[in-house]
Amino acid sequence: MDPIAVTIALNIIYEITTLFVIVLGLAIVFGLLKVMNLAHGEFIMVGAYAAYFCQDQGWPYIMAIPFALFIAAILGYLIEFTLIRHLYRRPFDTLLVTWGLSFLLREVIELVYGKGFQSLSNPIPGSIDVLGEPYPSYRALVMVIAILSVLVLWVWYRRSLTGARVKAMVENPELARAVGIRVDNLARHTFVVGTCFGALAGVMLAPLTRVEPFMGLDYILTSFFVLVVGGVGTILGLSSGAGVIGGVQSVVSNLFGETSGYFGVLLIAILFLWLKPNGLISRS
Amino acid sequence: MGLFLGRSIILLLGLFALPTLLGDFWAYQLGLYFLYSIAALGVGICWGQAGFLPLGQAMFLGIGAYLSGFSLIHFQDSFLLLLLLPAAALIPGFIAFVIGLLVFRGHLESGPFFALITLALSLLTFQIATNWVDVTGGFNGLGGIPSLPGLEGFESLYYVVAAVLTISIGVVAWIIKAPIGVIWRGISENEKRLTFFGYDTAFLKALAFGISGVLGGVAGVLYAPHQGLVTPNLAGFILSAELLIWTAVGGRKTLFGPVIGAILVGSLTAELRDVIPIWELMVAALFIFVVLFLPDGIAGWPERLFQRVLGRRFSGDEVNLAVKIGQKSPELELASCSLSIGTVDILNQLSFRIAQPGIYCLIGPNGAGKTSTFNAITGAVKTQAGSINLDDESISGFQSHDVAMRGIGRKFQVPSILPNLTISENLRTALWGGRCSLMDLFHYTPLNWTNTINTDLKERFPFLIEENKPAKELSHGEKQVLELSMSLLGEPRLLLLDEPCAGLSSEETDKVIDTIRWIRSTFDSTILVIEHDMTLVKDIADQVIVMHQGAVLAIGGVKDIQKDSRVREVYVGVSI
Amino acid sequence: MLNGKKTSRRTVLKATLGGAALAAAPGLIKYANAASDFKIGLFIPLSGPAALFGPSAKNCGELAIDEVNKSGGVLGRQAKLYIADAGVPPAEAAKSAVRLMLRDKVDLIVGNHDSAVRQAIVGAVKGKIPYVYSPVYEGGECSPNVFMLGETPQQQLMPAIDHFAKTKGVKSYYLIGNDYVWPRVTNKLAKKYIAAAGGNVVGEEYIPFGPANKFESAVTRIKSAKPDLVVITLVGGDNVNFNRTFAEFGLDKNISRVASLLEENTLMGVGAESSGNLYSSMAYFANIESAENKAFVSSYKAKFGAKAPVLNTLAESNYAGIIFGAALTNKTGSTNAAKLAATAEGLTVSTPTGAVTMRNRHTDKNMYLAKCNGTQFKIAKVFNKVPSGQTCT
Repeated sequence: MDPIAVTIALNIIYEITTLFVIVLGLAIVFGLLKVMNLAHGEFIMVGAYAAYFCQDQGWPYIMAIPFALFIAAILGYLIEFTLIRHLYRRPFDTLLVTWGLSFLLREVIELVYGKGFQSLSNPIPGSIDVLGEPYPSYRALVMVIAILSVLVLWVWYRRSLTGARVKAMVENPELARAVGIRVDNLARHTFVVGTCFGALAGVMLAPLTRVEPFMGLDYILTSFFVLVVGGVGTILGLSSGAGVIGGVQSVVSNLFGETSGYFGVLLIAILFLWLKPNGLISRS
Repeated sequence: MGLFLGRSIILLLGLFALPTLLGDFWAYQLGLYFLYSIAALGVGICWGQAGFLPLGQAMFLGIGAYLSGFSLIHFQDSFLLLLLLPAAALIPGFIAFVIGLLVFRGHLESGPFFALITLALSLLTFQIATNWVDVTGGFNGLGGIPSLPGLEGFESLYYVVAAVLTISIGVVAWIIKAPIGVIWRGISENEKRLTFFGYDTAFLKALAFGISGVLGGVAGVLYAPHQGLVTPNLAGFILSAELLIWTAVGGRKTLFGPVIGAILVGSLTAELRDVIPIWELMVAALFIFVVLFLPDGIAGWPERLFQRVLGRRFSGDEVNLAVKIGQKSPELELASCSLSIGTVDILNQLSFRIAQPGIYCLIGPNGAGKTSTFNAITGAVKTQAGSINLDDESISGFQSHDVAMRGIGRKFQVPSILPNLTISENLRTALWGGRCSLMDLFHYTPLNWTNTINTDLKERFPFLIEENKPAKELSHGEKQVLELSMSLLGEPRLLLLDEPCAGLSSEETDKVIDTIRWIRSTFDSTILVIEHDMTLVKDIADQVIVMHQGAVLAIGGVKDIQKDSRVREVYVGVSI
Repeated sequence: MLNGKKTSRRTVLKATLGGAALAAAPGLIKYANAASDFKIGLFIPLSGPAALFGPSAKNCGELAIDEVNKSGGVLGRQAKLYIADAGVPPAEAAKSAVRLMLRDKVDLIVGNHDSAVRQAIVGAVKGKIPYVYSPVYEGGECSPNVFMLGETPQQQLMPAIDHFAKTKGVKSYYLIGNDYVWPRVTNKLAKKYIAAAGGNVVGEEYIPFGPANKFESAVTRIKSAKPDLVVITLVGGDNVNFNRTFAEFGLDKNISRVASLLEENTLMGVGAESSGNLYSSMAYFANIESAENKAFVSSYKAKFGAKAPVLNTLAESNYAGIIFGAALTNKTGSTNAAKLAATAEGLTVSTPTGAVTMRNRHTDKNMYLAKCNGTQFKIAKVFNKVPSGQTCT
């Protein structure tokens, strides 16, 4: 097999799977609570900085996971309590408030760590052989984790009681409340789960990318595009959204250059928003 | 009108005096923020009036500025500029209008999707401006743009900008007080309701976006000579976001909010950014605070206060409109209409025909498909099979506003009104539906329109006279009556009433029934009523249509229906 | 509603006047106190993507003012700094320039920002006061009364490419940059130098400027093109992401990289694991072993402490810009545009990067090729007095 073709294929898979990881938290919050969380990118940033903090303390990288979850859960809880819960039925206002929030989070990180780049060392340096081609091992691990998390999440959502409750809350909050589901608590937990997934994405991607206060901006737009193209509410939709956006980006870039790839993503997103706002696959 | 002009002139003189008071630098700085506030006025129209959020408004400013820049560079001092510069302002408006029409036609709601589309479009514009180096000068910008002919230096341009700002404020003030403003606010409250009055809301929203595009374009046209340089940033996300912040902080629903926001936040930022290190943090916090707690912004509170103190005033004589009801009785025919959602059949080969004026009661057990029948007739849902004909014209597949325009009015089961608009605005919106031409919408005369039904309704239901009370403050019964009145004001030939007496006291019920009868007898209209209360049905119905499982079970006079054995089977245990 | 309007108008007027009075007050006080100062407006990025250089640039500005004043000020007056944010959209920067000019009445502007902002400032100032533009840029600015200190593509790449060709036998080159003016102009010239050095270009690509970019595809293309050297004109975060991805795919072992805008902060982001065989070609590094630089670094540390923001080329260029502007004005004896232009030609001023000599309103200066060693630079080669290749008259 052509070694370059193997690498390109792996790159496309990597692009799609990381997109999936990035979007997951946003999809939970937007899909289930209808909250357009424009500060999602900043939760990814918080996760990355949490990882940086752990490295700075000399802790092993794996420690970054519980630490980031801890920080993100506290933040998510506070933010839900002070801001988001007032806004569940005001879509524009959530959009604007979370956008203001993204400024705040950036500024706060900046006050603590400054504007400069931080670099995280790769926890698993070196490469492994994929079909005779070397591929960076940490990247391969990220892909595997991403794919596993899709499966776990899918099973959990299908089988678990919480999954059923969340579904009930989304379908009909009044009825859910009537049958004894504590909708307010459930919404808060859902939001916190969303922020935690954001932070986890940050921990995973931090060694692969630049870490600085503005890094969240890198993720937020593509995340929304993935959601729009894929459709909200199903894991299959999310995966197909990541597939289309990641695929268009990779394929057009390889054929016509990176700038065209970016144009391609913007155009696809606009077309979907316009003609198929519910995305490829949407619940109901 | 005279007063209006007078105030504009006072404002203009005030603005003209500023450079003398504050000096050259402020003339320059304010000039720039005046430009931005012209664009912010556009954001106010979209977001504050029509209720959709434009996230990429700077795009129109950018397009206008590039077009103006090319014109000034290539046709310096030519008379062609008299054509080119207005065109440069109008083209962004046209683009906005077309975008709006395409998007809003696609889906009715003005939700976040539209906002995201405008955001993506503004990113696209930024990239095109950055990459199309031969035309736009790329990232470094289109430089060396001369000033407007005969106006050297920014001091003289200031006066032009101030004049254009005054005109823009005047125009926007006019527009948002004209019927179109009321309609836009109505759309932002309850778009669906307006479509059933016959308003093409997609078109009207596109119009709002188009006008905001023109305002952006005007700002851009002046920006190019003011700055002498147009860079891609001008079309990009940051300025779009700032326009939004300014509008929100100033007060999106007010006339002056966007202007005050742009000038105040803009110039304070310019002054304090270098002095207070956490300025951006403060602006972000202020922004969140305003969105959460001050939806009307800084300008909202004073504007409301003075409205309270001084009240409102409409001058001019009432214009009594000719009544059109009774011109021709409708012939409605539903032929084998079917509708299913998933595996559930909602309508199943539904057929019936109404050719004579009269009161028809549509009855049937829950889930029989009564409301769905109304939805099908009014274009709210599309049937999957069968046809709906009105006067030999097939109206199946029509959009709700087209159906409404053919003289079909509707009242919903749960009162569907415009809660934050006043009673008189609610009534006017209904009265204008199907009557106002596009030109009328920009005129003040429709504000004085009335008709005999309106007068009569106010006698029957005195609470309707409290013009300035917001509709949301009414009781449930009053809301029902208000919506009934609204659906009558459109003078539909065919009126669909979905449980008009639900939740009313017996006294209110009597009055409503009396009103329905009055409409029926005075205007010889056709009225189709969904009703559960059999006493009422017996009381008012000329004909009864019994529905069961999505199809017609029986049609006939009250007595015939009472005798019908199939009907008795369906209504086991209920005395009819 | 009609009546509500009048009051709102009053509100706007009051608010505007009030805001104006509030904001204008500090300006008025400045007038009163400081009529005899020689005022220098300094544009540095305090917000936006380049804000990372703000603190070090500000420090360098203050240090330069100290030193100018220690040696007698400018035209016998004390030099005083007026700082403005250059990390804003061009229109805002132009506005600040007008403010500096009309309200603060500065005598000289020194600026450190991108070319879009420079064009805006040039357009606003219109040559009425001298303007020293200090950072690296693509060349081509010749507006009257504007003086360029920064290195041009010719200075950055002509000697460096020649050096790689001669000492390392580099033959094939791959060019990658952001999609805007500076990288495109730089690469256009780079191709000439590559041809002159007998090499060939095996790939050239541009990454959109603005959005977040990933570099897997680009790195894979480079991997299959197998160049000897990659010439990088990416900026900021893209520069970090590219170099990290490059090393992660293991390309750093066999392929060298030379970057045109890789300074101390960006290298921190790239990280020690990813900086193998990575070079940077610029006019200043914090660890240049020259007497001028040692003096500069030690006075910087003395004034701002050991934990001060790291020195870098952009910060140093601010220092150099002020020193140069002061020297130029002092030698001319006034700020008359025509006289300044005459004095400028051939003027030599000592800066941390070495002596710079102005020709055609750009400078001949020493250039350094540094090899990354972890997150530190190590000077590999010094090219003395490289000409800018610019032809302003």
